[in-house]
Amino acid sequence: MKDKEKRKLRGDVEGNARALATGFKYLVEPNRMTLDYPVESMKLAPNYRGFFTVDDKKCIGCSMCEMVCPPEAITMIPRVVSPTGETLPVQEGASQEAGAKPAKKTKRPVVNWGRCIYCYFCFDICPVDAFVRSNVHDLAYYNDADYRPSYEGYLKLPEDPVKKSKKVVPRPDMKRGIKYEPAP
Amino acid sequence: MNLNEKVYDISEAGSIEPEGDRTIALQIGPSHPGSGHMRIKTRMDGDIITKVDADIGFVHRTSEWLSERRQFIKAIPIVERIMLPDTVHANLAYVLALEKILNIEPPPRAQYLRSLAAEINRITSHLYGIGIFGIFLGSSTVYMWAFGDREPFIDLMEMLTGARITNSYIVPGGVRWEMPKGFKEKAESTLQYMENRFNDYNDIWAKNPVVEARTVNVGVVDRNRAISLGVVGPNLRASGVDYDTRKASPYAAYKDIDFEVPKMNHGDSYDRLLIRIEEIKQSIRIIRQILKDMPEGKIIADSIYSQLNPVMKKVFEQEQRVMFPAFFNQMRPAAAESIARVEAGRGEIFFYLKTNGDKYPYRFRWVTPSFRNLAYFSDVAVGYRLADLPAIYGSIDYFPPEADR
Amino acid sequence: MGILLLIIWLIQDLLYLIVFPGLVVAMVLVILLIYLERKIAAKVQMRYGPLYVSRKVGGALQSVSDLLRFSFQEFILPIGSDSIAFLMAPGFMFAFAMMPLIFIPVGPYYSYLFPSTLTILFSVALITITPIYAIIVGWASDNKFSFIGSLREAFLVISYEIPLLLSVIAMVIVYRTLNYIPAVAFQETHLPGIILNPIAALVFIIVAIRSTGRFPFDITEADSELIMGLYTEYSALFFGIGMATPYIELYALSLIFSLLFLGGWWPVSIHATGLLAGLFLPGIIVIIKAFIVMMVLVFLRAVYPRYRVDQAVRSGWERIIYLGIIAVIISILEVIII
Ligand code: SF4
Ligand code: SF4
Repeated sequence: MKDKEKRKLRGDVEGNARALATGFKYLVEPNRMTLDYPVESMKLAPNYRGFFTVDDKKCIGCSMCEMVCPPEAITMIPRVVSPTGETLPVQEGASQEAGAKPAKKTKRPVVNWGRCIYCYFCFDICPVDAFVRSNVHDLAYYNDADYRPSYEGYLKLPEDPVKKSKKVVPRPDMKRGIKYEPAP
Repeated sequence: MNLNEKVYDISEAGSIEPEGDRTIALQIGPSHPGSGHMRIKTRMDGDIITKVDADIGFVHRTSEWLSERRQFIKAIPIVERIMLPDTVHANLAYVLALEKILNIEPPPRAQYLRSLAAEINRITSHLYGIGIFGIFLGSSTVYMWAFGDREPFIDLMEMLTGARITNSYIVPGGVRWEMPKGFKEKAESTLQYMENRFNDYNDIWAKNPVVEARTVNVGVVDRNRAISLGVVGPNLRASGVDYDTRKASPYAAYKDIDFEVPKMNHGDSYDRLLIRIEEIKQSIRIIRQILKDMPEGKIIADSIYSQLNPVMKKVFEQEQRVMFPAFFNQMRPAAAESIARVEAGRGEIFFYLKTNGDKYPYRFRWVTPSFRNLAYFSDVAVGYRLADLPAIYGSIDYFPPEADR
Repeated sequence: MGILLLIIWLIQDLLYLIVFPGLVVAMVLVILLIYLERKIAAKVQMRYGPLYVSRKVGGALQSVSDLLRFSFQEFILPIGSDSIAFLMAPGFMFAFAMMPLIFIPVGPYYSYLFPSTLTILFSVALITITPIYAIIVGWASDNKFSFIGSLREAFLVISYEIPLLLSVIAMVIVYRTLNYIPAVAFQETHLPGIILNPIAALVFIIVAIRSTGRFPFDITEADSELIMGLYTEYSALFFGIGMATPYIELYALSLIFSLLFLGGWWPVSIHATGLLAGLFLPGIIVIIKAFIVMMVLVFLRAVYPRYRVDQAVRSGWERIIYLGIIAVIISILEVIII
């Protein structure tokens, strides 16, 4: 009993009454903080780390990103530089350039989405800042093979799978913690 | 039904009960709603526990082995994934050890940003612990509330770093992103929201008569026993030991920050429950101070910044994003060794790093707080009832993947 | 004229068995209640609760889909179990949970099937049978967790049955009858039972929470220690039956509570006649009252964690039983004074 006083425990009557009252308060007040996901989805901040791709023209094929990638998700694909400055697959480039001066060989990164952890180390180590971010993040593929795109496939940023949903942004709220308001 | 039937466990073979032993063996876990990723081998005399043996290692992920075979920078995501509720602290501890070897001193603003991230993370980590304790005692409301209330803080981290949990925010020399605009206001209202919630948490959880009945005087560890068990963090402070690495050997911005280290006296489950709420209050206080006193300046050490190429410097000026110099890829620190200690949500992380001039660490060793809090299991629950086991397990906020590393 | 009367009697009997308050209403209410329980808990916990099954009606068909899932799941019979007991016990448990409903009239003319003047006695006696099968369930499963769960059930049943009887006895003393219909009539002419003897009402509610395993007495199924308690080894429809049984019990206890303490079918008079006022209206009123009681009891899930078994047993023997005795004394005093 002395222990109880020293510790300021609530007695049974007060404790039960307040617990029930608080429960009831939450029962009647509007206070949901859930995001109703596929119906609403978040408009993510521009600095969100989602799927990303590489700018084919900027990249110089230095392999720094491959080297830094912690889960070794990046593979460097051999490519050749076309006259327009874009790259072509090796065979295609070779046949086009046949006879002319030898095609300049280069490499381009491809990310295995099944391994990538979105740490964005590759992003930050790139000496020419060639990566392009997007904030699409809620995407899953059906097959293992789909996680490993070809370079052409990798260049296309994936589409937002919940494009049709209502876009909301989180705002701090005194009652709910987070309130999702329609995105501006 | 034969109660003395041998349990399906080979390692227990030597300890088959002698004739006339009235205890029964109960294997809680490894697939059990109340065991986490581990197995708790218990023996019970009636409802009283006579022996507890925590069998860990089910989620061992060889973080040390992996890190010793990779460049230094690649260990950051690895250590983060070991302590998922507490990523910033794992990241910070490793980077502190690495910085000591590389001889880099981050600028003050980076120090403050590190503390900011760490404190936000401490709140989410404690809320995680509170929620798990809640569901262990059967209070689904606290479980949902605590996990829901992590959300605003995770949202803050998302605003700061662009990722929710695995931030990889801290790199040698500083932090990777500047605080975005509008962060202060958002943080302030989030903190206010959390402060308003404490009353409701008390009503439904901490001061609920059922919780009081379940936790008061359960799993008592007095001061001396806590010290000799070697437990760390909030569990140690709940037993009345005034020890916090943030005070004992300040890192990041903690030497400039004024805060208290809450401590309790009884060392039972109830105190371990309360101390987490108190620490959240202190973290709120620290975050307020950090936001107020944050010095201006660079967020990355000059020695790193000077290695950036012009493109990267431009990016830094435009987006306030620190890009990595090529040096991060090719780090080959000279032979040295270093230690780092960080007060994580669950207690002190200890890091030991030894290099020998190679591309990879020569020895990468870390001790996580949950591993040290493991001492609670075999010792403390003995003599209490079976139903007290969740009350003790939940209260120490034990996170098996963190202990198994 | 005679034939018409016979037909009306038959209809009433059928209504009694199947509709009011029998199988159909009980099942519908249980399904609705499970849904509402989850919704109520979700609201307190700041989330939606069931929603995706039948989004248009707010997820109301969730429980139906759960029922379907239970029906078509694979049933697993554990090797070491006592298979006959294992298979039979849930069925018996369910049947005995339904049994009290036969003796609970939900209107002044509903006691045709088993005309008896001892309905209170019968219904309360039948309620105490279900736990025996719960214990058999745990024993037959050959699982230590189930076994501990059934031991806990046994401890708790013994400690809480006496208060239940005491609180009912207290009301019986006030009403001076063992039949529900005169008891309701007494409340119509005097006051509702909850005002006549609030202590007895409190004891009854606590025992109702306990014997249906609502929080904070969700002890036999404490998932953090005992996985699923009694039903650890069960799957498929048998698990579903096991899960539905406490709700049926809850329904029976709430009906008794509304008859004994909330004035039964008040404000409809006991002397009302006719198909509507004498038959349907009282039934609907009693069931609504019972449903409100049930909702209050399931709301507790959102407020409380669970007690430890020894604490619950101790409070049963050290507190609730004295409350029950006090309730009886109050009743005796009331009878003497009035
Ligand atoms: S984000 Fe990280 S894991 Fe993904 S490809 Fe880049 S470096 Fe590799
Ligand atoms: S680091 Fe940048 S430039 Fe180098 S290969 Fe990768 S994307 Fe291309």
